[in-house]
Amino acid sequence: MAGLLELDNLSRRFGKVTALDKLSFMVPAGQVVGFLGPNGAGKTTTMRAIFGLTDLDAGSVRWDSAPVGPAERRRFGYMPEERGLYPNMLVAEQVQYIGRLHGMSAPAAASATTWWLERLAVADRAGSKVGTLSHGNQQRVQLAAALVHDPEALVLDEPLAGLDPAGIDAIGEVLVERAHSGRCVLFSSHQLDLVEDLCESVAIIDHGRLVASGTVDELAASGARRLAVRVAGDRQGVWARAIPGAAVSEVDGGEVRLVLDQAADSDVVLDAARSAGRVTMFVFERRRLSEVFREAVGS
Amino acid sequence: MKALPVIIAVAAAAALIRLWLRRRGRGGSPPVGAVAARLRGRGLLGDTGLVAWREIRERVRGRVFQVVTVILFAVVTAAVLIPTLHAGTTTSQRVGVVAGSAPVEAELRGLARSAGVPVELVSEPGLPQARAALGAGRLDMVLDGTGKILVNQPIAGSDTSAGARYVRAVSQALGAQHAFAQAGLTQRQAATVARAKPLPVESLQPGKKPRTTAEATALLGVILIFVVLTQYLTWTLMGVMEEKASRVVEVLLATVRPIQLLAGKVIGIGAVALAQAVALVVFALALAEAVGSSLVHGAAPLVVAAILAWLVLGYAFYSWLYAAAGSLAERQDQVQSMALPLSAPLIFGYIVSLIGVSSGAPSLLVKVLAYLPPTAPFAMPALIGFGDATWWQFLLSVAVTLGGTVVVAFAAAQVYRTAVLRTGGRVRLRELLPTLAR
Repeated sequence: MAGLLELDNLSRRFGKVTALDKLSFMVPAGQVVGFLGPNGAGKTTTMRAIFGLTDLDAGSVRWDSAPVGPAERRRFGYMPEERGLYPNMLVAEQVQYIGRLHGMSAPAAASATTWWLERLAVADRAGSKVGTLSHGNQQRVQLAAALVHDPEALVLDEPLAGLDPAGIDAIGEVLVERAHSGRCVLFSSHQLDLVEDLCESVAIIDHGRLVASGTVDELAASGARRLAVRVAGDRQGVWARAIPGAAVSEVDGGEVRLVLDQAADSDVVLDAARSAGRVTMFVFERRRLSEVFREAVGS
Repeated sequence: MKALPVIIAVAAAAALIRLWLRRRGRGGSPPVGAVAARLRGRGLLGDTGLVAWREIRERVRGRVFQVVTVILFAVVTAAVLIPTLHAGTTTSQRVGVVAGSAPVEAELRGLARSAGVPVELVSEPGLPQARAALGAGRLDMVLDGTGKILVNQPIAGSDTSAGARYVRAVSQALGAQHAFAQAGLTQRQAATVARAKPLPVESLQPGKKPRTTAEATALLGVILIFVVLTQYLTWTLMGVMEEKASRVVEVLLATVRPIQLLAGKVIGIGAVALAQAVALVVFALALAEAVGSSLVHGAAPLVVAAILAWLVLGYAFYSWLYAAAGSLAERQDQVQSMALPLSAPLIFGYIVSLIGVSSGAPSLLVKVLAYLPPTAPFAMPALIGFGDATWWQFLLSVAVTLGGTVVVAFAAAQVYRTAVLRTGGRVRLRELLPTLAR
């Protein structure tokens, strides 16, 4: 199964507020794509636009190069930010109902519901009313409702919010598994370390605009080179202060972190460190996703 | 009792099918089969049918529905049984006669027939025995042979029971006979005077004719329509609001169109309402038939059919409005302020029609209201009960109401589509005017 979800030039204004500003990015099949941005950046509006829940002033959402319409959306799975379940409906019936609305026959919906409730470890609550479940279990049921019809594209708004570590592991595992079985998976989150662990790619938006995108590895390797150096017996890192093209960003317990510009020579840095004493650590560091994010949104 | 084996067989078949479906569901197959299963098993109405079926199932399962249904059936049972039981409580009057005579006994029997009271005359050998029988409750009254009537308990002036009426009639008639005898009239003369008929009194204005069965049925029908509409329209309003408040509408609208969701809700709740009303009517007719009640028994089939038809039409007209109003709110207090202006024409139509039916003659206002969609569901059944509507007037009213329903449904769908996904406070109707103008 292969597919490509394309968001092309999406624009949307609410009065004087620009929610989406010519936003474009793609979600390829087989990848978990993290969708990041500060609060109010336009993530939820983007996801709602994929499902036609908000009108667009311009731009289009495409699936395999064709505009997304009701038939395509039926093959997508959606988990909104503010969870949407009938509190008085039984768990299994609710998931089956969503499956049926996505076009499944009654036996297929029943079978898939059983499978997913077991997979997400809520099978023992199948006969309970949704409103009686804990927040974490309701989240699992919501995910089951998004997955029951075996969607080709999965769009999840903050699926990990408020979950305990076991819940995060369970849902994270399912997202990776879905992507590896050839589905498109797009999910938003503010838990950047988790996104870094789960996602192959990310798209970062701010004020409705795309400010960074790419694979996690590309983004981590992008920008200025970073070095972490430790010299035995040195606590202040004075040796690093006057190296051309290298700026000290942090000195922590004798570990000196430097940001190198393009002209800087790492051999010069190593020589300077050796002149100060025995070098016990000399490592090029990857940027954390959180750093990429902060840099991209200017915070 | 003949139907019992059939009911058991149907229940057993349903249980087996359910078990089979569950077994299939427990097969442990991975969910990848869903793709192949797509677009199978769609009902006649597709997604709208699924939404409607969920509404029916959840509503019928709900405690509110079950309690209200029990109450309504209890009210119908009481409405049919109480008048019947009351009519049937005319127990036989046992009259003890001391030193009676054939003319007196004939008079007592004649008065009983006139009053519609069965009477049993018991000849008593003497006053002490008669008093003892009266005190023991074996007799209801005693003619003591000296021109007095004895009863066990005093009879209040306000007592309108058959027994009290009979005692008064006997007292009056025998008192008159006693007076005639004292005046020296012969028996024949006394009998002539006793049979005197009052002079007929004629009024210039037509009198109020007694209520016919069709009118009584129409009266009950108007009340039934109001009760059912009030209950189910509130459900529609609350149901839409709750879907919006719980945000489940966002999940649903990601796969079904707003009009399908709206129509499914309206149809589902409407089906429950109609089923409940039909069940009540059938139950009332069956019960009336069983107990020989004149209240509903013998009602013109046209009136019953018209009541059910107008229940459907009334629900169809108002349900869209209530659903649209529900989509504007996301809290219960907001819903109540929404419902008030919508319920005003409904209550107005109901009260005017009810007064019309109760007064015995439909007013001009009722005749006008029968052709306005918001009030026709009450006024037209009232006119039909009076026999004041011809078939073409009935069809005209239906056509006007259906036309109004189409207009209302279109506007409501537009409002719903725009408002149901707007959160963060009540949506003002004027904010939606551009939507309606599209």
